Amino acid sequence: MEWMTTIDNPGKTYLMQGNEAIVRGALEAGIHFAAAYPGSPSSEIMTMLGHIADEQGFYAEWSTNETCALEACMGASFAHARALCVMKQNGLMVVGDALHTCGLSGVKGGLVLVTADDPSAHSSTNEFDSRNMAMSAGIPMLEPSSIQEAKDMVKYAFDLSEQLQQIVLLRTVTRINHGRSNVTLGELPAAKKPLATIGEWDRMVAINWFHEVQYAKLDQARELFEESPFNTYEGPETPELLIVTSGTGRLYSRESIETLKVKDRVGVLSLGTTWPLPEALIAKHLAKVSKVLIIEEVEPFLERGVAAIAGKTAGVSVEIIGRDRGAALSQVYELHPDRVRKAIGTALGIDFMPAIPGDVTNPVVIPERALTFCAGCPHRASFFLMKQTLRLTETPGVVMGDIGCYTMGGQRAGHYLYNFLGCMGAGVSAAEGMGQLTRYGFDQPIMALAGDSTFFHSCIPGLINARYHNSNMLFVILDNSATAMTGFQPHPGIGRNCMGHPSEAISITKVVEAIGCPVTIADPFDVEGTTETVYRLLKEPGLKVLILQQMCATLAVRKKAKRRVWVDNDICRGDECGCGRFCSRVWGCPGNIWDAEAGKARIDEVVCVGCGVCASLCPSGAIKVEGGEA
Amino acid sequence: MAGGLDLKMEVLSSSTCTLCGACLDWCPYLKNLEDHLVMRFDCGVTDGRCYATCPRTFTDWQEIEHEFLPDAASDLYVGASLKVVKVKGASVTSGQQDGGTVSALLRCAQEEKEFSAALLTGSADGITPQPFLARSLEEIQAAAGSRYLAAPGLRFINDETVAQDQLLVVGRPCQIQALRKRQRLEAAKGQPREYISIGLFCTWQLGWDFKDYLLERYPGQKPERIAIPQHGLEVTVDGKQCPVPMDDVRRYIRPACGYCLDMCAELADISVGALEAEPGWNVAMIRSQKGKELFELAVQRGYLIVEDYAEEEFARLKGASLNKKARNLNNLRQAAEQGRLKPFVDLDKDEYKQIMELAEGKVKQ
Repeated sequence: MEWMTTIDNPGKTYLMQGNEAIVRGALEAGIHFAAAYPGSPSSEIMTMLGHIADEQGFYAEWSTNETCALEACMGASFAHARALCVMKQNGLMVVGDALHTCGLSGVKGGLVLVTADDPSAHSSTNEFDSRNMAMSAGIPMLEPSSIQEAKDMVKYAFDLSEQLQQIVLLRTVTRINHGRSNVTLGELPAAKKPLATIGEWDRMVAINWFHEVQYAKLDQARELFEESPFNTYEGPETPELLIVTSGTGRLYSRESIETLKVKDRVGVLSLGTTWPLPEALIAKHLAKVSKVLIIEEVEPFLERGVAAIAGKTAGVSVEIIGRDRGAALSQVYELHPDRVRKAIGTALGIDFMPAIPGDVTNPVVIPERALTFCAGCPHRASFFLMKQTLRLTETPGVVMGDIGCYTMGGQRAGHYLYNFLGCMGAGVSAAEGMGQLTRYGFDQPIMALAGDSTFFHSCIPGLINARYHNSNMLFVILDNSATAMTGFQPHPGIGRNCMGHPSEAISITKVVEAIGCPVTIADPFDVEGTTETVYRLLKEPGLKVLILQQMCATLAVRKKAKRRVWVDNDICRGDECGCGRFCSRVWGCPGNIWDAEAGKARIDEVVCVGCGVCASLCPSGAIKVEGGEA
Repeated sequence: MAGGLDLKMEVLSSSTCTLCGACLDWCPYLKNLEDHLVMRFDCGVTDGRCYATCPRTFTDWQEIEHEFLPDAASDLYVGASLKVVKVKGASVTSGQQDGGTVSALLRCAQEEKEFSAALLTGSADGITPQPFLARSLEEIQAAAGSRYLAAPGLRFINDETVAQDQLLVVGRPCQIQALRKRQRLEAAKGQPREYISIGLFCTWQLGWDFKDYLLERYPGQKPERIAIPQHGLEVTVDGKQCPVPMDDVRRYIRPACGYCLDMCAELADISVGALEAEPGWNVAMIRSQKGKELFELAVQRGYLIVEDYAEEEFARLKGASLNKKARNLNNLRQAAEQGRLKPFVDLDKDEYKQIMELAEGKVKQ
C-alpha cells in the first residue's frame, strides 16, 4: 500500500492532515525511532508511523505511558538515533520529571517531542497549555501556524536538537493536528545518520552540574530564533495595532484583517519559535507601536513574555491586551475567527460584525446531543450495574475514576456515577487514601475505576500502594480489550505491537494477582449476576479487585456474527406503568429507540450491534434476540 | 395519583418499606437484593401500580376491611373475624413450626384443588428466606416452617406465568394488606381477581445482617433454624437449640416493622399464629366466608384438629396486638412530627384514637 507520507516526490504538493504532515516531517528528518502514548489530537501520528515503520526502516512503539515513551527516546538518542516522541498535553504533564531531567542532561541524537494541545478540551478533560512546560524545563519550543509548517518544523527541530544537543518541543493544537491543507513535500534522506558507539566515558546524565550548560543552550537557541524564518512580520512599517501571535492565531488574524479591511492599520508578528522568545525581534516591533494585541491558544504565555520584554526594553511604552483576565479574548476555550475578529475590531474601535452572506435570521438549530457510549458498549452495562449496586448498599458509595471512554460514565450515559475524576491512574490512588479513613468511622463503600489501557499506563503503583497499605476499597478494571477512546491503539494486554507484529500479551489478572490482590472476574453483560458480585465485594473488608471483562463493541462487531435484536410489539408495554420506556429512556443505548407513532419500543437495527443486554433488562421480555454469536 | 418517585420518597427513602414484594417484578425501576429494595433508576410514571398497592402508602384500612370482610364483626384489637379457634395439623410435617396448621391447610387446599399455584417462602439453609411459587405437594412441603428474615414473597404475583392461575397467598400481615390493595386496583381497572389468603401473625421481621451476626456468634458452625418458642429467640446450631439474647435480636429488627399496625394479618381469609400457652398448637382466625369454607373443609377431611380457644388466651392475644398497635402508632406519630415520614394512615381517625385510649397506661415505650 502506498502512503502519502512516504511518496518520494519532492516539490510536489499534496493535501494532508496536520498529523500526516508531522509524520512526513519525521521521515524527511530520517528518524530511527518513534515512541508515543495515544491521546487526541495526536493519536494518528504514531498509528501512521506504525504502518510505515518496517518499510521505512525505523522502530515505532506505543509505549505503556508517556514517561516510558520519552525515556525510550532518550535511550535511543544516547546512541545518536533521531527519536520522535508524541503525546497530548496531559501526557506532557505525565512526563514532567523525565522532561526536566532530559533538559538537564541534554541529548545526543536529535530528540523532538510533539505535544498536541486540545484547546476547548474537545477530546480531553482539560485544556492545559503545554508551553509552560518548555519554559519550566528550560528547553526550546516551536509552534507551527500551518500544516506546511508542521511538516517543515519537525525536520528543523531535529536539526536544531542536534545543533544544541537539547530536546526540542513542538507544540501543536487540535486545528493544526486535525486540519487539512496543501503541503509541499521535501526530500526524503537517501540514508539515515549512523548510530554511535557509546564509549566508556560517554555520558548522558541529569545532574545539576549541567544547569549552566542548559542556560547556554537556551541562549544559543534565542540567538538562532532572532533570525528564524518561522518568525514573520506582515503589515505596515508602523501599524496602529501590532498583533503578536503564534499557531492558529496567524491565519485567524490574517482572515480577520482581510474581512475587516484593516490591512493598512494592523501588523502581524507571527512567531514560530515561542521559547525562548526572540527578544530583540519582539522589542524592535514593540518600539514602533503603542498598542499590542496578543492572539494565542489557551494561556497568556506569549502575552506575559511580550510584557516582560516591553518592561525591560528602554523606550518601549505599549498597552498589551490579550487573554489575560479576558481583556481582549476569553481566558478559556479555543480561538475562533469570530472571536479574533471581535478582538481586533474592538482594539481598533470599529464595527467587527461585517454582513454575513446568507439568511442568519433563521439559523439551523442543531439539537444538543449528550456524549454517550456506543451501541453495545460494555461500559454502559458496567455503569448501569454499578449504579444499581450503590443504590442497594446501605450507605451511598463513592466512585473515583480517571480518563478513558468510561469518563462518560460521569455523564448521563453512566447515570452520573462519578464522584471524583482525576488524571489517569488517579482513581485507584485517591480511593486508597479514602479507604484508610474507615478506621476513623468513614463507612461508605469506595470504588475506583480504570480501563485496561489506563491500568498499564498508571494504575500499577497505585494498586501496589493500596495493597501494601491494605486500603478498604474495590478497584474495578473495565477491561474492554482496547484503548478505545483514542482509536484502538495496541497496549501491553493486546498481543500486537504498534508495527503490527505479534507480541506476548500481559495478563492484567496475573499482574494483579502478583501484587497480591484477590481478583474476581465478571461479565458486565450479566447485569444482575454481576450486580450481586459487586454488592458482595463491597461488603468485604480490605482491598478487592474486580475485572469486568467484555470486548469493546466496536471490536466485537468485527469479530462476531451479529445477533438480530427486535421488539415484539404485542408484548412491549411502552409508555405504561410497568416500564415507562425503560430501554430507550434509562438504559439509553443508541440502538434502543422509541417509535412515537406505535407508542412502542424499537431497535434501530443499523446501530444495534446485537449484544442483547437490553433483552435481559426488559421487564416484559418484549425484546427478542436471534441467531449470531453471544 | 402518585407514582414511582412518590413511592421512593414516602416509602423507600423513609425506611417504611416492609419488603412485601408487591411492587417488584412488573417494573424495571425497583430492584431487590437481600433485604434491600431500592429504586435503581428514577421512574417518571405519575400513576404507578407500585404506589397504589404498597401497604405503606396512605390507605383507609377500615374501608378495605368492610369491603373484603363484610360479614365479620370488626374488632379494634385483632381485626374482624367470624371465628377464632385453637388448631393444629392432624399429621406432622417435617420442618413445620408450632401446630403445622398452615401446612395442613395448604395440603388440603391443594388436594381439593382450591388453588393452582401458591406463593410461599421456603429456605434452603433454614435461615435465608426464598420466596417461590408452589404447585405440587412436594413444593408445598418444602415451604414448611416460619421465616424470620424479611423476603419479598409477593413479587411472584406479578409473574406472567401465573396470570391465569387461581392463586393462594401465604404471607405476613403487610403482604396480605398489599394483596387487598392489589385486588381493589384490579377491580377498579375492570379486571377483578380472586385470591385465597392465609395470613401469618407477625411481630417483626429481621434484617439480613442478622445472618452476619449469627456467623459471628457461632463461628465455624451452621445455624439451621430460627424459632421463637416463648419469650425469646432460639437458633438451632449443629442440632442444638441456642437462645439468643433479645437485646441483640432487637438491633436487627427492620425499622419498617416499628410502624406496623397489624399483628394478626387482619385482612386475610384465615390468619394463623402460634398458641403461646401451648407449644404444638396454633390459633386460627377465620375472617371471610372463603376462609371459613376452606377451614371447615380441612377440618371435615381430617387435616386439622380443632379445639375451643380459651377466653383468657384470646384476651392475652388481644392485649399483645393492641400493645403493638399503640406502640407503633406512637412511633408513627413521632416520626411524622419530626418530618421523617408521611403517615400512611389518618392518625386522627376515630379507630386509632380509640386504640390509643384502650392502650392508655398499658403501652410499653
